[in-house]
Amino acid sequence: MSIDITVKIGGEAGQGIQTVGHLLALVGQEAGLYIMAINDFESRIRGGHSFFQIRICDKPVQAPHHKVHLLVALNRETYDLHKGQLDSGGLVIMDESDGSGEEDLIALPFSELAQKAGGMIFANTVAAGACLALLGVPFELCKTVLSKQFGKKGADVLEKNYYAAELGYQTVKEIAFKWSFEWRADRPKGALIDGSKAIALGALAGDCRLAAFYPMSPATGIMTHLSLLSDRFPLIVEQVEDEIAAVNAIIGASFAGVRAMTSTSGGGFCLMTEGLGLAGITETPIVIVNAQRPGPATGLPTRTGQGDLHFVIRASQDEFPRFVFAPGTPDEAFEITARALHLAEKYQVPAIILSDQYLADSIFIAGRPYAAPQSIERFIVEDGDIENPEQYKRFAFTPDGVSPRALPCAGKALVVISSDEHREDGHISEKISDRIAMVDKRNAKVPFMLKEMNPPKEYYGESEVLLVGWGSTEGAVKEAVDRLRDAGDDVGCLNFSDLWPLPAEAAAKALGKAKQFLMVELNASAQLGQLLREQTGLVYSGAILKYDGRPFYPNEIVDGIKQYVR
Amino acid sequence: MVSIKDYESSYENHWCPGCGNFGILEAMKDALVSLEILPEKLLVVSGIGQAAKTPHFLKCNMFHALHGRALPLATGAKLANHDLKILVNSGDGDCYGEGGNHFMHAIRRNVDLTLLVHNNKTYGLTKGQASPTSDFGMVTPMQPRGVISEPFNGLAVALSLGAGFVARGFSGNLEHLSRLIREGMQFKGFSLIDIMQPCVSFNHINTYNWYKKRAYDLFEEDYMPDDLENAMKLARQWEDRIPIGILYRKEKQTFTKHIDVLNKGPLISQQYDPARLQAVLDA
Repeated sequence: MSIDITVKIGGEAGQGIQTVGHLLALVGQEAGLYIMAINDFESRIRGGHSFFQIRICDKPVQAPHHKVHLLVALNRETYDLHKGQLDSGGLVIMDESDGSGEEDLIALPFSELAQKAGGMIFANTVAAGACLALLGVPFELCKTVLSKQFGKKGADVLEKNYYAAELGYQTVKEIAFKWSFEWRADRPKGALIDGSKAIALGALAGDCRLAAFYPMSPATGIMTHLSLLSDRFPLIVEQVEDEIAAVNAIIGASFAGVRAMTSTSGGGFCLMTEGLGLAGITETPIVIVNAQRPGPATGLPTRTGQGDLHFVIRASQDEFPRFVFAPGTPDEAFEITARALHLAEKYQVPAIILSDQYLADSIFIAGRPYAAPQSIERFIVEDGDIENPEQYKRFAFTPDGVSPRALPCAGKALVVISSDEHREDGHISEKISDRIAMVDKRNAKVPFMLKEMNPPKEYYGESEVLLVGWGSTEGAVKEAVDRLRDAGDDVGCLNFSDLWPLPAEAAAKALGKAKQFLMVELNASAQLGQLLREQTGLVYSGAILKYDGRPFYPNEIVDGIKQYVR
Repeated sequence: MVSIKDYESSYENHWCPGCGNFGILEAMKDALVSLEILPEKLLVVSGIGQAAKTPHFLKCNMFHALHGRALPLATGAKLANHDLKILVNSGDGDCYGEGGNHFMHAIRRNVDLTLLVHNNKTYGLTKGQASPTSDFGMVTPMQPRGVISEPFNGLAVALSLGAGFVARGFSGNLEHLSRLIREGMQFKGFSLIDIMQPCVSFNHINTYNWYKKRAYDLFEEDYMPDDLENAMKLARQWEDRIPIGILYRKEKQTFTKHIDVLNKGPLISQQYDPARLQAVLDA
């Protein structure tokens, strides 16, 4: 029998949901299984309702499951809200003071056991112990992960947690659970990783040296990870006064010669659009990560969505080339972040990475070890590379629009840059011929940038029907394809991660093979679908759209497609 | 040897004849020459406005950036390469209006750079509207019944935020202004020089003669710029007599000195180390 179970831990913010969840993630990893966990929480520090939902599987998994096999209810509300999601034979564990008597409910004396272990702070470890016992995890394995989680906090804390877990464990170990399975020790399949951490590591692999930011959910995690690592690298992470300062600081740093990046969410990106244009007209390489959340304005701060695609490809006034990427997995997020830093510098343009709350805050097993590049290719010239440094022109015309880029105060070559339209030497010009030549120069890069863009990733690309998505919905879309194919439908999918300039030719070729294609997007207007129609002339025959701020569950896509197929 | 000629730009000047900016430009050149800074060793960052065009009329490395955003951009450049000698040129609207938030936080950070605020108390480039420093009651085409807000006092704000070098200059006193710029650039930390400057086109109140009549030189008065309370009083002195000179000077650790990684040299000069990164990726 294959393993595919989902455990949901719910309660108020501040009750220790994360602690239980991370123990489960660690157990899954230690046993050589695959895990995928989502974090669902409100924009508040205490109270409200949050949950952590983890799926443990014996094959790679990149999306959450809609059925819950074990519900750990740290309060009554969790039980009431989620009991409807229980699969057959599923169980709930809850403190006895929150209720008892229902058939699928195991009421436990969490509080009493926690007190026995040393205080209410241990209630979540008691719950974790009970949860692990029901799943059939050997207690030795529980101890291994407890020591990973609490080992750093000292022997006393660790001992108490062992005891708390054991109390929970012993209380339920005689209870039969339909979804329990035999756990075998196996080599971990990969590191535990979330999208934020993957982007942070990718930034290091792209040799990012200044990360300036203003905190904003769900983008802050990237900078938290980078901050923790900054003492080991030539890297400064600076929290500045606002997003406007952030984007201008990275432009300044890039101009002075280091690769630089910022991260924000939609509202902060709005403030950065002026700076984005500055990077555009001054041809200064920068990378901006927009971890999307639903908007407009404050919107849903801790939720997910894909509503910013049209915004970022057009953001800032007038026209100038830029790259836009949207990674589908943490592995890809690592790779794309390093690549964005490289390509931004190579073409002297801004690059934008579209992540989202789902990718940023969910936990996955990395699909492969991440490799540091052996060297970093820089695209900078020095006096020795320039025929006559005293006549250096920062915006000299070239066939591909990319001018040799010198750094300020690095030699005789003076670097003159203006946000006004300018001449080749960088000084302001309002002459018609200069204006036309500069627009043409910047746009001359596009065909070369386009050659860098990867085609959409095909999965059963020869199918009659193709589902088409972009960014982090990739896992859910692929799993939906698997299920539809198991049911006999000839369905495949295309997932885009390289979005702008849109690889229209490759897209048309891939889309043209199918009888019809359907968009799957977390927005209300099928933004990629519209873009594909605009750029390829091909029209999607339907769309499965979701804009409630929650991620796609594969079954929603399977159900959604039924009106179009058969 | 550096000479004034080294700083001469062949680019056509855009300012109105008689503009106070000319005096500031000349004072800058004079200070740079006496400090023996080569044009290729100087970076001038500016925002948008007539003042912010200054670097185009000087031969140097320059980034003429966005309205209000010169300071964060200069901060980023300094973090990337803290050996850069940075002079920021800004105006009253650019620095105290659009860039007000950046102005406050640049002072908090104490980045080692010199900020010249060309303060003509009006918006020149957009043709004569009130600026954050316009006097109460000043009538403009956009404020026909007069300005009804109090003027922004950049010096007092800077002092209250702990700025280490706070000075006021006058574009009509070249020698004095050159000295301020020289001392500002030699100062380790954030230095602010607010420069009273007539606008011959749009400000008919605060004219050259208006300033000339009121300005008095703190250097001549043997004023010691080491007392914050005194400095605050001078920063607020305006009506009949206006002090020009260094109001306050006190060095403290600069921003980049607080950052350990910069002990190994400027960020741009440090080596990428794949082994160190691989160790983190494998952890």
